[in-house]
Amino acid sequence: MTEISEGNVLLKMTGITKIFPGVTALKNVDFEVKYGEVHALVGENGAGKSTLIKILSGLYRPDGGEMLFEGKKVFFSDTRQAQLCKIAVIYQEFNLIPDLSVAENIFVGREPKTLGRLFINWRKLNAEARKILDRLDINLNPRKFVSDLSVAERQMAEIAKALSLDARLIIMDEPTATLTEKEVVKLFEIINELKKQQVSIIYISHRLEEAFKLSERITVLRDGEKIGTKNTSQTNQDEIVSMMVGKVVKDYFAGEKISEGKKEALLEVKNYTIANHVYDINFKLYKGEILGFAGVLGSGIHHMLRSIYGAAPRTKGEIFFNDKKVLIKNTNDAIKLGIGFVTEDRKGEGILYDMSVMQNLTIVVIKALTFLKGMFVKSAKEKKVFAQASKDLDIKFADLNQRIIFLSGGNQQKVIIGRTLISNCKVLILLEPTRGIDVGAKAEIHRIMRELANKGISIILSSSELAELVNLTDRCLVLYKGKMVAEFNRQNMDEEALVAAQIGQKINQT
Amino acid sequence: MVKFLKLYEKIGIFILIVFAGIFLAIASPNFLKTDTILNIITQGTYGVIVGFGMVLAITSGGFDLSVDAVVGLTSVFLSLLIPNIGIPSAIILSILISCFVGFLNGLIITKFGVNPLITTLSMATIIRGASLLIAKGRQIPISVEKFTVIGTGKLMGVPNPIWIMLVLFILFFLLLNQTPYGRHICAIGSNESAARVSGLNVTFVKIMVYVLVSFTASINGVIRTSQAMIGIPSMAPGFTLLVITITILGGTSLSGGKGNLIGAVFAGIFISMIYYGLNLIGVQYFYQLLSVGLVLLFALFVDGLRKRYLEAAKIKGIKV
Repeated sequence: MTEISEGNVLLKMTGITKIFPGVTALKNVDFEVKYGEVHALVGENGAGKSTLIKILSGLYRPDGGEMLFEGKKVFFSDTRQAQLCKIAVIYQEFNLIPDLSVAENIFVGREPKTLGRLFINWRKLNAEARKILDRLDINLNPRKFVSDLSVAERQMAEIAKALSLDARLIIMDEPTATLTEKEVVKLFEIINELKKQQVSIIYISHRLEEAFKLSERITVLRDGEKIGTKNTSQTNQDEIVSMMVGKVVKDYFAGEKISEGKKEALLEVKNYTIANHVYDINFKLYKGEILGFAGVLGSGIHHMLRSIYGAAPRTKGEIFFNDKKVLIKNTNDAIKLGIGFVTEDRKGEGILYDMSVMQNLTIVVIKALTFLKGMFVKSAKEKKVFAQASKDLDIKFADLNQRIIFLSGGNQQKVIIGRTLISNCKVLILLEPTRGIDVGAKAEIHRIMRELANKGISIILSSSELAELVNLTDRCLVLYKGKMVAEFNRQNMDEEALVAAQIGQKINQT
Repeated sequence: MVKFLKLYEKIGIFILIVFAGIFLAIASPNFLKTDTILNIITQGTYGVIVGFGMVLAITSGGFDLSVDAVVGLTSVFLSLLIPNIGIPSAIILSILISCFVGFLNGLIITKFGVNPLITTLSMATIIRGASLLIAKGRQIPISVEKFTVIGTGKLMGVPNPIWIMLVLFILFFLLLNQTPYGRHICAIGSNESAARVSGLNVTFVKIMVYVLVSFTASINGVIRTSQAMIGIPSMAPGFTLLVITITILGGTSLSGGKGNLIGAVFAGIFISMIYYGLNLIGVQYFYQLLSVGLVLLFALFVDGLRKRYLEAAKIKGIKV
């Protein structure tokens, strides 16, 4: 790599070290960002990305090393100082106040005043907000309340806020994790616009293809150490992935798919309608297959799958299980039939924070692991069940009484998958099972899914990562605005076709 | 700090008791006598028994502010029923009526989605009003002598309330730690949506929790009434706060998901020791009230600290 003159470097971090009791989170890391550059920061969970970001934003103080910002030596002892230096961080969980408007949020604490600084100058507030939004060509009404905004719009508001603070460096932490493909395109436009205005961006994402699309350079961290910085144009995904995991990984998706056995429908859904969400959906799920669902926001897929599991109401429709008509009124009915459900909202609906790894896994079947007619829990039996499941799913934990929040995202996800599996599950519904999970764990979850399918369990997979659907599913159904618009099988499935179908483009099907 | 808090979580309340004990032993020559100690523990059982119920409620992510009113309700029904249907039936019926109050609390909270604080606070007012109405505003003396045994009698030299507390402790301990039902309570308090998605019967579990809280409050009512031998509709004013103090000081997390029954027992004894100490100095009742408030604030402070450091530890990846 060519030497960069000091002049066009915005941020230079040298020898950054951060030690937590027992763990060295960052070891002598050098990192720099040039003016107007998008610098992607990648690495598996626990690689040290977030620690680095937290040092940059003033949340953590480094134990060693120094930082130069715009050529001046800086030291942040709190977040306010980082803000004064014009560094803004956009976290996955936004820091917006839902009950205020976009404009109020952008200028919160700095509202333009009128009448002797007593009142807020609304006209000026909204006009200024409009100006900032226009700078990035964002079509968003500044008077709208944040609580009424979509995730993507909130993100835009957050970016506008950063810009209004005259940020020179914006750090984006997994900005596309919850966006639809279309919204991602818009975000990329905004990022390119920021670049033109000489704003630098540190871009953190699990999705490598995005890093390649956007960035000038990519820095890889692993286990708290910097593995290297590459010019994006001179590297490829395989190289970056092997840098991240430390060994050469050719294809990080699960291997081959099963051959088509005799088709035996296990679950059939007929005329399924949920007002305002999905209309007249029909599909069959065969034994041992992985059925994918693709659709952008508003497709209604999550709503429908939730409703099939009994966690949301439906307007009309019938469900047949093993050719018998069944009525699923609540989640308990579904579990009794053998339908398992893994939520897309791991934090909100998945993990039981205060409970141990083992208790999290056994909670659904705990009634079966008892003596004296369901009175008391048999702890030996519970441990056995847990040991078996954690072996099958390769869950990594320090000890079984460890609280679940101290596991990595990937391992938490495995516990939740295990929770549904041990309750004699025949149909497994997975919503975004690999969201926010690092590459290694992702590959493992893909492998687990394939193994389960081979064992005869039918899987429904809803994912916004199209590559995942293409590589893993046997069939894929596409919903657009609540209606089924396309069905693909392995022969005619590819990413471009899925993208087109997802956004409602008519396609020629054979 | 994390280590300190972990240690405190485990043995903090014992250390408080040891300190208070040393202080009292020095201050009063009478303290280290069996009678005094049994007396202190007996005084402590009142709050502890209801504390068991409150531990369940707070562990499930709920709250119950109606316990003091239920004590009064039980008292009134006992005084009215004992002369008519005899002691055993009267006790059973009074407890059942109280359990029904808990059932109503649970029903309103789960089926209508009303905040538990507001629900039980309204219920407390309703119950107080009803008790006063039923008793026509009077205090009703009980003349059946045998009834006094429950609250004032002794078995093997140990006052009955302590036995009652021990039996209830065993029952509630098994319930919370060894049964699927207890596991479900923790799950709901930990993350209610997750519990729902996992197919747990959240409504049933929560209703039962409120029934159990009222059950413990009612037991407390039986003991108190038996000691006073009089039905008092306004019995146990301000008692709810004491129960909450015992629960939180005992290490039950205010944010739910984590209940500590043993801690509640010792917290109850600790507060009883404070009362004894204050009596010793000869200060007024007002100071006792003040001290409970202070202890609650302290317990909440520690609970808040613990949560904050746990969060920080999680961010920093420290195992706790």
